[in-house]
Amino acid sequence: MAKQQYDQLSPEWFQPAPPNVGEQEKINRPSLTFWHDAWLRLRENKAAIVGLIMIIILALLAIFAPMASERSYKEQNLSHAKLPPKVPVLEHISWLNLDGKDSNGVDVYKERGIKEYYWFGTDDLGRDLWVRTWYGTRISLYIGLLAAVIDLFIGIAYGGISGYYGGRVDNMMQRIIEILNGIPYLIVVILFILILEPGIMSITLAMVITGWTTMARIVRGQILKLKNMEYVLAARTLGAPNSRLIFKHLIPNVMGPIIITTMFTIPSAIFTEAFLSFIGLGIRPPEASLGSLVNEGYKSIQTYPHLIIIPSIVISLLILSFNLVADGLRDALDPKMRK
Amino acid sequence: MARYTIQRFVYMAITLLIIATVTFFLMKLLPGSPLQNQEKLTPEQKALILKEYGLDKPVPVQYVQYLGNLLQGDLGVSFQYDNRPVTELIGDRIGPSAQLGFQAIVFGTLVGLVLGIFAAIRHNRWGDYAATVIAVIGISVPSFVLAGFLQYFIGVKLQWLPVAFWEGFKYTIMPTLALSVGVIANIARFMRTEMLEVLSSDYILTARAKGISNAGVVVKHAIRNSLIPVITILGPMAVNLMTGTLVIEKIFAVPGLGEQFVRSIELNDYPVIMGTTLFYSALLIFVIFIVDILYGIVDPRIRLAGGKK
Amino acid sequence: MEKILQVNDLHISFDIHAGEVQAVRGVTFDLYEGETLAIVGESGSGKSVTSKALMRLLPTPPSRIKQGEILFEGKDLTKLTDKEMQSIRGKKISMIFQDPMTSLNPTMTIGKQIMEAILKHQNLSKDEARKRAIELLQLVGIKNAELRMKQYPHQFSGGMRQRVVIAIALACNPKILIADEPTTALDVTIQAQILELMKDIQKKLGMSIIFITHDLGVVANMADRVAVMYAGKIVEIGTVDEIFYNPKHPYTWGLLASMPSLDHKDTELYSIPGSPPDLLNPPKGDAFAPRNPYALKIDYELEPPMFQVSDTHYAATWLLHEMAPNVEPPDVVRERMKQFADIVARKGGKPRG
Repeated sequence: MAKQQYDQLSPEWFQPAPPNVGEQEKINRPSLTFWHDAWLRLRENKAAIVGLIMIIILALLAIFAPMASERSYKEQNLSHAKLPPKVPVLEHISWLNLDGKDSNGVDVYKERGIKEYYWFGTDDLGRDLWVRTWYGTRISLYIGLLAAVIDLFIGIAYGGISGYYGGRVDNMMQRIIEILNGIPYLIVVILFILILEPGIMSITLAMVITGWTTMARIVRGQILKLKNMEYVLAARTLGAPNSRLIFKHLIPNVMGPIIITTMFTIPSAIFTEAFLSFIGLGIRPPEASLGSLVNEGYKSIQTYPHLIIIPSIVISLLILSFNLVADGLRDALDPKMRK
Repeated sequence: MARYTIQRFVYMAITLLIIATVTFFLMKLLPGSPLQNQEKLTPEQKALILKEYGLDKPVPVQYVQYLGNLLQGDLGVSFQYDNRPVTELIGDRIGPSAQLGFQAIVFGTLVGLVLGIFAAIRHNRWGDYAATVIAVIGISVPSFVLAGFLQYFIGVKLQWLPVAFWEGFKYTIMPTLALSVGVIANIARFMRTEMLEVLSSDYILTARAKGISNAGVVVKHAIRNSLIPVITILGPMAVNLMTGTLVIEKIFAVPGLGEQFVRSIELNDYPVIMGTTLFYSALLIFVIFIVDILYGIVDPRIRLAGGKK
Repeated sequence: MEKILQVNDLHISFDIHAGEVQAVRGVTFDLYEGETLAIVGESGSGKSVTSKALMRLLPTPPSRIKQGEILFEGKDLTKLTDKEMQSIRGKKISMIFQDPMTSLNPTMTIGKQIMEAILKHQNLSKDEARKRAIELLQLVGIKNAELRMKQYPHQFSGGMRQRVVIAIALACNPKILIADEPTTALDVTIQAQILELMKDIQKKLGMSIIFITHDLGVVANMADRVAVMYAGKIVEIGTVDEIFYNPKHPYTWGLLASMPSLDHKDTELYSIPGSPPDLLNPPKGDAFAPRNPYALKIDYELEPPMFQVSDTHYAATWLLHEMAPNVEPPDVVRERMKQFADIVARKGGKPRG
C-alpha cells in the first residue's frame, strides 16, 4: 500500500456509500449442483475417462464386430485350423505379430494357400477367434448388465424396505442378509450349476439369490441416515421450508452410493463368469466365453500363444475399464472430498 | 464382548446348518447314485446296495442321518475312487492347498500393507499414483490370466522357475505369487483408503500438535488405527483365496484340494463335490468367525463396554 | 509486561484448483505473558488458519506462508524446519481443538496419550512419566486418575474428554496455549466448567492463552484482550472493556448488536446481512464494505489502515479518519459506550491490560 495514497485523500471519498440491502444476500461464487460438481471431478480423473472410452470401444466391438465377419462363432473349418492372427495393413509391422507367421517364422497362410484374413487367427477346430472373442465379450457384458439390474431391483427394494420400516422388520431382514453373506457366493453358484446345466441360467440364478446383498446393505444404511435427517427437516419447517433443497439433498445422497456400488458389481460379475467358465462350470464350448477361451488357449500356450493372449487381454481390459470408472465415480461422488 | 462372541457363534452354526441342508437336498435332486456304474446287477443286489447307503429310508430320516454323519465327520464316499471316504480324500489333498493359501496370505498381506501405506503417505504424488495403478491392475487381471502369464514368461521363456508340480519350495513360488496378487491389490487399496481417512482425522492433528515427528505419527497412530478395519476384509479375502486356489492349482498342477475339486466336477463325482463344498464352506465360515472375534479383541471400542461408535 | 509472541504482517494462502485463496491477508498482533487474547470472527475469517499457522500445523501444500514473521523466543517460527518446530510443539506452545470426540486416538489409552507428550519432550523414565500424567489428570479435575489412565476415550464423556485434551496440552508446561473453539462442541454447563478450569490453570501456571471463538459471551468471560478478525485481517484489537464498551469498527458493532440481550428483548434482533467475501478474489478496498451500512466511498477503493484509539486499542476503519463524518452506531452499542466512561472511572482511569 503506497503511503502517498494515504496522504492525499480528497474529502469527497468520505461521502457515505451504504450498499444495497438486496444485493447483500447474493451468493458470491456460483454454486454448482451436486451432479454438475461430480461430473466435473470425474472428467478430471484421466484414468476414469480412459476406462469409459475403453468400455465404449469394447462394447461397440462386441456388438458389431461379429457382424463384420461372415463366419459364425461355432463354424468349424478344419483346413483352416490353428492359424496365427493376420490383419491387413498391420501385417507389415513386424513386431506386432499380426502377419500370419507362426512361432517358427513360417507364413502359415501362404503355406496352406489360404486367401482369407483371420484377424485373430483360428483355434484348433478352425473356428474364427475374432468372432468368438467378441461373442464372449457380449456374454461378459450381458452378465455385467444383469448383475447391475439385479442389484438395482432386488438390492434397492430389499434395502429400502428394511431401512424404511426399521424396527423388527429391519432386524429380521438384516439377520437374513448376515446368513446369506455367510454362504460363499461361489458355493451357491456351484450348487446351482450342478442341478441345472452349466450355462447362463445357473449363473443368473445364483446371482439373483446372492448377488444383491451389498447393495441392500448400502441402501439401508443411506435410508437410515436420511430418516434421521427428516427430523431435522421437520424442525426446519418451523422456519421456511424449501422443498427443492430437500430434493437436491436427499436424492443425491441415495443415488451416489447406489451408482458406485453398481459400478463395482459389474466387473466383479464379469470376473466370476469368466472364472466359472474357465474351470468348466460356466459357459462351455462350442459356446464362447472369454473365460472358456482362455481355458482352451492354455493347451497351446507354447505353440499358438495367440489363442490365450487375445482373450486374456480382452477380459483384463474389460474388467480394468469398469474398475477404473468405478474408482473415478467413487472419488467424484464422495461428498467428503469436496472443498 | 462375550455377547458379541456368542452372537457370532450362533450365526456360524445357523449358516452351516443351512448349507448342509441345501447340500443334502441338492444331492437328492442330482442324477448320480452309487448304482450308476453298475447296471448289471440284480434287483436284490441293487436293494442291498441302496440299503447299505441308507438310501432306502424315507427322506426325513435320511436327512437326520446325514446330519448325524456330518457331526461325526463322515462325508460319504467317492463314486470314482472305489468308494474311498471323502474325508480321506480331502485329508490327502489339504496339505499343499493349506501351504499355498498360507504363503499367499502372509506374503500378500505384508506386501499389500506396505504398498497401501506407501501410497497413503505419498498421497497425490507419483508414488500414490503408481501404487494405485498397480493395485487396480492387480484386482482387474483375472488370476487365471496372470497365472498363465507368469507360467509362460518366467517358466517357459526365462526358465527361472519350474512351470508346474509341487516338488519343493521352488515349485511353490509362482503359484504363491499368482495367488497373492489379488490379496496384495485388495489390501493395498483398502489400507490406502483407511490410512487417508485416518490421516485427516483430528487426533492425528492432536498428535502433531504434541510435537511428534511425522514418522512417529504415521507409525504410532495412523497405521495401528488403519489396520483394525483391514481385519474386516480378511474374511471375504479368504473366500477369494479359496476360489483362486481352484484355478491356480489346476494351472500349476498342484496336488491340492482345489485341483481335485475341479476334477471331480468334470467327472461328476457328486459325493466328492458335495463333501468338498461342505468342507470349504465350513472352513470359510469358521475363518470369518475367527476374524470377527479377532476384530472384537483388537478394537477397544468393542472389547470394552460402550460398543461401536 | 513481557511480550512473548509477536506476529508481524502474516499472509497465508491456499493454492487450490480454482486459484489462490488468501485466507490471511496481513495479521499483526502481540501476545503478552500471562494474558488471554481472544480472537473473534465468523467462519472463514481466518482465525483458525492463523492459530494453526502459529504452530506450523497447516499442510504445506496446499497452504503457504506468503510473507510475515512469527517471533517467539528470539526465533522466527516461519523460518524453522519441521523438525525444529517439533521441539516447540507440545512443549513451548500447545494447542487444543474443538471436537473432543475426535481429538483423541480411539484405540490408545488416555494414559498413553498423555505420557506420549511427556516422554517426547522430557527425559523422564516411564514410571516418572506415568506419575506426572496422573498429576495432570488430577490437575484438570478428573477423579480416580490412576484408574482412568488405563481407559479409552470412548469411556469418557465429552467434557471429561476435553479435560484430558487439556491435560495433554499442559504436559510440558507450555508458555502459550492456543485453544481453538474448545468449548463450542460442549453443553453449556460443561462449557462453563471447562472455562473455569482454564482460567484456574492459567493462574497456577502463568501461561498465556490465545482463545479462538465466535462466541462473544465466552470472550467476555475469558479474555483480557480481544482481536476481531474479518476476511483474513484483524479489523479491531483492544482490551476486553474497550472492545465491548467502546468499539469503533462497524463489524464489531454488528457483532455486539447481534448478541441477544435481556435488556433489549423488545427490539428486533439485529443481524449482519450478507455473507463473508470469497477470498479467492478478495475485493478491492475494505472487505467488509458490501455488508457495512456505514460504508464510505473510500471503503470500496482503499483498505483502511489501523487507526489508533488508545495505547491498547486500534481499529481499521475509515470512520476514524479525520475527514470522516460522525456516525451513530446502533442503539445497543451506543448504550454500551455510555457505560464505558463509568467503567474507566471505576478501574482507576486506565483501561484494563
